[in-house]
Amino acid sequence: MRIVEQFFPPELSLHYLRAALVPLEQTLAMAAGGILLAVILGMIAGIWVGAGLPGGKTTYSFLAAIRSFPDLTLAILCVVVIGIGPAAGMLAIAIFYAAAIGKIFSDLFRSADPGATRALRATGASRLSVALFGLLPLRHKDILSYGTYEFESALRCSVIVGAVGGGGIGTELIGTINALDFRRATTIILLLIALIAVIDAGARRVKQKPGLLLVALPLAAIAFWQDRPTMLAFAHSMSTFAAMLPPYLPHSAVMKLPGLLLETAEIALGGTFFAMLAGLPLGLAAARNFAPPWISLPVRRMLETLRAIPEIVWGLVLVGAIGTGPKAGVVALALHGAGSLGRLYAESFENIRTEPLRSIAATGARPLAIAGFAYLPLAVAPLAVHTLFRLEWNVRAAAIVGVIGAGGIGQALYNAQQLFFYQQMAAYILITGVIVGVVDYASGKFRQDMGLMERYA
Amino acid sequence: MSAGHYSLEIRDLVVRYANNAVLNGISCAVRRGERVAILGASGAGKTSLLGAINGFVPAVSGSILVDGIEVTTTGGRALRELRSRVGVISQRHDLVDNLAVHQNVMAGALGRWSSWHALRFLIWPLREELNVAREALRRVGLEDKLRARTSSLSGGEHQRVAIARALVQDPVLMLADEPVASLDPALSHQTLELLCRLADESGVTLLCTLHQPHLAEHYFERIIEMRGGEIVRERKGEGRLDARELFPALGEGI
Repeated sequence: MRIVEQFFPPELSLHYLRAALVPLEQTLAMAAGGILLAVILGMIAGIWVGAGLPGGKTTYSFLAAIRSFPDLTLAILCVVVIGIGPAAGMLAIAIFYAAAIGKIFSDLFRSADPGATRALRATGASRLSVALFGLLPLRHKDILSYGTYEFESALRCSVIVGAVGGGGIGTELIGTINALDFRRATTIILLLIALIAVIDAGARRVKQKPGLLLVALPLAAIAFWQDRPTMLAFAHSMSTFAAMLPPYLPHSAVMKLPGLLLETAEIALGGTFFAMLAGLPLGLAAARNFAPPWISLPVRRMLETLRAIPEIVWGLVLVGAIGTGPKAGVVALALHGAGSLGRLYAESFENIRTEPLRSIAATGARPLAIAGFAYLPLAVAPLAVHTLFRLEWNVRAAAIVGVIGAGGIGQALYNAQQLFFYQQMAAYILITGVIVGVVDYASGKFRQDMGLMERYA
Repeated sequence: MSAGHYSLEIRDLVVRYANNAVLNGISCAVRRGERVAILGASGAGKTSLLGAINGFVPAVSGSILVDGIEVTTTGGRALRELRSRVGVISQRHDLVDNLAVHQNVMAGALGRWSSWHALRFLIWPLREELNVAREALRRVGLEDKLRARTSSLSGGEHQRVAIARALVQDPVLMLADEPVASLDPALSHQTLELLCRLADESGVTLLCTLHQPHLAEHYFERIIEMRGGEIVRERKGEGRLDARELFPALGEGI
C-alpha cells in the first residue's frame, strides 16, 4: 500500500505541466513524421508488389518478416543504432508501419477484381500505370479504412517507443520513475490517458471524414524535419550496426534460453488468468442488464482507464514500484487485460438470451445466484472466445514487456542492450521475431479452422 | 372476501407499452386451487397479464394481489419473496442450456437460498438437494434425466423439466404462458394433463394462457377470453371433472 501512496497525489504544478508539454509535443511529432514516412514507403512497396513488378515476391516476404518484429523491439534496435531520442522512435514507427501498410496494400491489390485491370492492360498500358490508374481507384475505400486504422495504431505506438529511449512522453515517464519521482510519473500517466482519449476521438473523426488526413500532411512534414536523424553520427551508427553481426549467443545463454521462453509463456498465461479473474466480476458489474447504472457507469469508466494504459506503461510503473522480474510482467498484462476483458465480458453478458434469464429471475433468485445460474452459463461461449484471443495477444505482449525489465525473453534482450552485448541482443531480437511470427501464424490458422475470424485489439 | 380465499385478485389493471394500452382495465379473482385458462389470439394481452402478475411488466394503474400481497408497489427483497412462491412455465427455450438438468430443476429453490448456497450448489451439490431434484423429476416422469445435458432434451421433456423447476418452488400460484404452443397435438395433451394433475395434487392455483379453445375447455374449469387487452367473456370448462375421471386417486391427497 505504501508503494501506491507514493504515486499520489500527482504533481500538477504549472511549472511541471509546462515542462511536460515538451515531451508531449515530441511524441505527436514523432508519430506524425513516422507515419508520413511509413505511408510513402508502404504505398510504394504495396504498389510495387501489387503491380507484379520484378522482385515483388521477395519484397512481400521481406515486409512480412519485418512485421513479425514487435514495434518495441525495432525501437530498441533504432535507439542502439542512432542514439536515444525522438529520431529513433520516429524511425522505428516508420519501419514497422511501412511494412504493415505495404503488406496490407499489396494484399488489397492482389485480391482486387482482375477484370477491370485486364481491360486496362489490353490497352497496352505498362504494369505500373495499370496499378496507378486501375488498382488505386478500385481500392481507394479499403486503402482509406486500413490506412486510418494503421494511423491510429502508430499514434498509440509513438507513446510506448519512448519507453526504450525512443524519445517523447515514454522517455519522460522512465526518467521520472528512475528518479523515484512517482508523483510526476502519475502526472505523465494522466497526460498519457488524455492523449490516448484524444487519439481515439480523432481516429473516429478521421474514419468518418478521411479527408482530414490531408490537413495533417504539412504538419507531418514539419515534424519529420524537426526530428530527422542527423547524418553526423552516421559513421557511428554503421559501426554499431556492424557490432551486432553476426548474431551470436554464448553457450551459457543458449542453456538459459528454454527457461526464458518458459518464463515468457508463464507471464502470458499468468497475465491472462488474473485478467480473467478480475474481468469476470468487473464485466458483470459493467453489464447494463445486470447492474444498476450507479454501479455500471463508474465500473465502465474504470475499465476504460485500465485499458487506456498500454501494458508497457503499466510495466514501467510496476518495475519502478516492485522491481524488475516476471511478477511485474504478469501484473502489467493482468491490469491492461482486465480492462479489455472486462468490457468484452460485459458485452457478452448484455447479449445473452432473455427468456432463460427471465425464468431464473422469476424464481425470486438473488442477484449473485442469477449471475451463477444464468449470466455465466448463458455467456460461456463468447467468454471463452474472448479469453483465448487475450491469451494470444498476451503471448506477443509478454515477449515485449520484458524489454522494460519485466522478465522473460524481453528482459534478456534488455540486459544485453544495457551491457552493450550487441551480438547477443541481435540474437534475442531474431528469436523474438520468430516467436511472434509463429504465434501469429498458428493462431491465424487456428482461427480459420474454428471459423473465428473476428479480430480485436 | 378474505385474502386467504383467493390466490389472485386483480382490479382495474392497466398496462401500457409506449402509450399503447396493452391491458385496459382487467379485473378478475382466482380462488385457491382453481384452474383457469386465459384464451385469446396473439396480441390479446395474455403474456403481458402474466408478466404483470409476477412483477416483470409494470402496471400504470390498478392493483394485483398475489396471496394477499400487492405486487404493483412491491420491489426488492419483498418482490423476490413473492416471486419465489409463483412458478412460471413459458412457451419454450427458457431453460439454461449450459446447465445440467438437475441444476435447472433446482433453480426453483433459488428464492429460498442465499447467494453463497446457490453458488456452492453449482460446484458441489449435496445429496439431499439432488434428492429433491430427483423427486421433482420423478413427478414429471423424467427421473433418469437427473444428470443429463439440458441441450439433449426433446421439446416435451424441456417443458416437463420447466414444470419440475416450478414444483421445486413449492408455489401457491403457477403461471403457464402458452406451455404447449411449440408442441404437437399428442404432446400438448400429455403436457397439459401432467400440469393439471400436478396442480391438483399439490393444491396449487394454475393460470394458463392458451390459444386453442378445445384444450382450454378440456382441461380447465374456468375460461377467461381476452381480446384487445380486455376480458370479453368468462365461461365454465369441463376441466375439473375430466381430471378426476382420469386420475381417480386424487381425492386422497398427494
